[in-house]
Amino acid sequence: MTVRRSANGALVLEGVCPVEDAETLLQLLQTESAGPVDWTECRQLHTAVLQVILASGIVPAGPCGDALVRQWLAPKLLPAAGG
Amino acid sequence: MSALQEQFVTEARELIRQANDDFIALERDGASRDRIDRVFRAFHTLKGSAGVVELPAMSIVMHAAEDLLAALRRGELGGNVDAFDQGLACLDLVSRWVDQFERAGSLTGQADEDGRAMAERLRSFLPRQAGPPEKSQSAADEGLLPEWASTLIASEREALAPRLPSHPSAMFAICYEPTAGCFFNGDDPLQLIRQLPGLLAFRVEPREAFLPLADLDPYACNLRLLAISTGELEEVRGVFRLVPDQVRIAAIPSEAGGIGLAGANDDERALISKVIEAQAELLRVPNRRGDLAGCVGAAARSAANALRHGEYLKLAETVEHAKALALSQRDAAPLLVALEQVLLAVDVAPPIVVVEDVDARTVASGDGSQQPAQRVLRVSEAKIEALINLAGELVVAKNALAHSAKRVEEELAGRGAVESIRRDHQTIERLVLELHGTILQLRMVPASQVFQSFPRLVRDISRQLGKKVELVTRGEGTEADKTIVDRLFEPLVHLVRNAVDHGIESPGERVAAGKPEAATVSIEASRIGDRFLVRVADDGRGIDPGVIRRKAAEKRIIPPEELAALTDEQAVELIFAAGFSTTSEVSDISGRGIGMDVVRSVVEQIGGRVSLQSKMGKGTTVQIELPTTIAMSRIMVVETGGQLFGISMDAVFETVRVNSDRISQIKNNTGFLFRDRVVPIVALAELMKLPAQTKDAAVAKLLVVMEAAGKIAALEIDAIHDRLDVVLKPMQGLLAGARGYAGTTLLGSGQVLLVLDIKELLP
Repeated sequence: MTVRRSANGALVLEGVCPVEDAETLLQLLQTESAGPVDWTECRQLHTAVLQVILASGIVPAGPCGDALVRQWLAPKLLPAAGG
Repeated sequence: MSALQEQFVTEARELIRQANDDFIALERDGASRDRIDRVFRAFHTLKGSAGVVELPAMSIVMHAAEDLLAALRRGELGGNVDAFDQGLACLDLVSRWVDQFERAGSLTGQADEDGRAMAERLRSFLPRQAGPPEKSQSAADEGLLPEWASTLIASEREALAPRLPSHPSAMFAICYEPTAGCFFNGDDPLQLIRQLPGLLAFRVEPREAFLPLADLDPYACNLRLLAISTGELEEVRGVFRLVPDQVRIAAIPSEAGGIGLAGANDDERALISKVIEAQAELLRVPNRRGDLAGCVGAAARSAANALRHGEYLKLAETVEHAKALALSQRDAAPLLVALEQVLLAVDVAPPIVVVEDVDARTVASGDGSQQPAQRVLRVSEAKIEALINLAGELVVAKNALAHSAKRVEEELAGRGAVESIRRDHQTIERLVLELHGTILQLRMVPASQVFQSFPRLVRDISRQLGKKVELVTRGEGTEADKTIVDRLFEPLVHLVRNAVDHGIESPGERVAAGKPEAATVSIEASRIGDRFLVRVADDGRGIDPGVIRRKAAEKRIIPPEELAALTDEQAVELIFAAGFSTTSEVSDISGRGIGMDVVRSVVEQIGGRVSLQSKMGKGTTVQIELPTTIAMSRIMVVETGGQLFGISMDAVFETVRVNSDRISQIKNNTGFLFRDRVVPIVALAELMKLPAQTKDAAVAKLLVVMEAAGKIAALEIDAIHDRLDVVLKPMQGLLAGARGYAGTTLLGSGQVLLVLDIKELLP
């Protein structure tokens, strides 16, 4: 499991996030206590996980650990650009 | 309708018209690459803007039309005339959609079906083997980018510019739409993107709007991945070798100025400059007066297209504006000035940077003295109408002021104030009239507005009839009031149809008669004094006065003895008589149940005259003579003795209902006290010698207090109907000498309304 809830409630993505993480993340996002998403430690994001993040409309905190996402996609996730 | 949608409608119409013209020219003159490119661009822009305002049906049709054009350019269609027919039909369909969109803001469900059917018809002309993956490739080969690629490049341009290697190797736009179930196949689309050799831009978007999280299926891929990459085609293709059906790859032409990528591409700019310079050179050559519109139009179009090609959109717009101005002033100078300015702008800056600069430059030149008024303002017709109405009201108010001023003069004779009021009144009167005149000028439009539909019309009819007809238009720049130009359309259509259908002989007959096989129909506008002349001429068989006489006798158009007395010239004019039609069989082309009498009645409604000359075997010329502006009169329609009359609102002072106890009998006359003045009452029925009607004396009388030529009187009438702005037509023929009438006008119902000349009538 590379997606977990940290002590402060943040949803942390770590290492290589495989396709299954999409469902886990989706479930966590739907719980009432869902905190911010932290993807700084995620080295590689699966497309399915990215899709959940895009669909949720949230902007994860900090620079993404996955270079492709950080360079090309994260800038477009800024509030002005929507999700 | 949002500003965006309005702009779409305006642009779409312009593009459709242009594509229409080019299509016809393509068919007539053969397929020149330049022209195909132009139609292609028009279609392409239409497709793009249809996407922006969300008209998928239109995008689908335009896409199919683009494929057709690509095939045409590759020479795969030959002279397949049916393909041209379908291309034109496709434009008709899109044109109807634009109308519908303008009215309703959307298209009906029927549009999707029509669109698909049209797309299929268009594709039916394509050579069989062209499957979808081939298509995007072939589009790339043609140096034309599919729409998604241009959109991608446009949206990523800012991001791209700094990242662009100074001499990029081949570049590719990639659109990757993984199937919904791709995750189950073990695909990770992002992983493929990571393998691209030289990523320059990348974005991910939902194919369809995301569902709320509660309904989201995390394992159904709903993404579209768009990327731009450098590298070798094989390399790029290799990345997607397992999903070839889900990806589209388009080569971005290396001379990418075409999409504005290589903004600093000097060669491209030099080329654009050269094109514009050539146009300016052409305009500097003193031209034959009649051809100005053509020269200006062609030069502006070439320059604007070159600019658009280089993504200098704002500059292209400047050129278009200057063209409109040049056409309206009938002088090439504004366009020439604009071209010179544009040249400077192109020389100094690449397109990406230049957009803002140029705007500032143009604005700055607006208040400088060198190039006055080179921008044209587009104003909606409704606003102009409102302005004209206001000016009209101002004229009425000015008339009321004249009255007040006169009273002041009478009551305060000898005081200083009187002189100052008189002076001010005169100033206001002059200014109001000037204002009114100037505002009417706003409505002046060139005849080209109505002429431009005819190449298509003539093409369609002549093809249907198997005749060869060349259409010549002259004097497109001649201006007249918009109402007149607009109303001219219907009679012109009828005349041109008639000319092609009845006037022009079949090619065989023409050759036998020693005439060229291709006939000529000309439409020509000119201006003589304040009259606007439009001539429709053909070199066909002419009208046989004998036939006309026979028909007129058969149909009893006029009594036999009058018919016998007519000269041949007069006899042919009988064609305009109501109920006359020279062909006994109703043809699809001109016999739509209306005859030349409709032409005459429409022309007369707008205050014009129509005449005809014809020479057997040589051809027929119909001349329509119109006023250049519509002199509108505001009238009030009143009823008395069961008849309607018009009276000019200028003379109306007030309408009142007066009870019989306020009416006093003075000798033989009746009168009533109106603002401290005894005003005589005149029954309009009596003035008009209408049968007297017995009236209940107890009923209040309806009076219109009028003032004309210094006399004041109250007209007794039965009822007041509408107030109308009408075009007065002077009394003609036998009635020309009738006194008491200012003229006639046609009511909406077709009834002729006599408008009274109050000055003559008041006792």
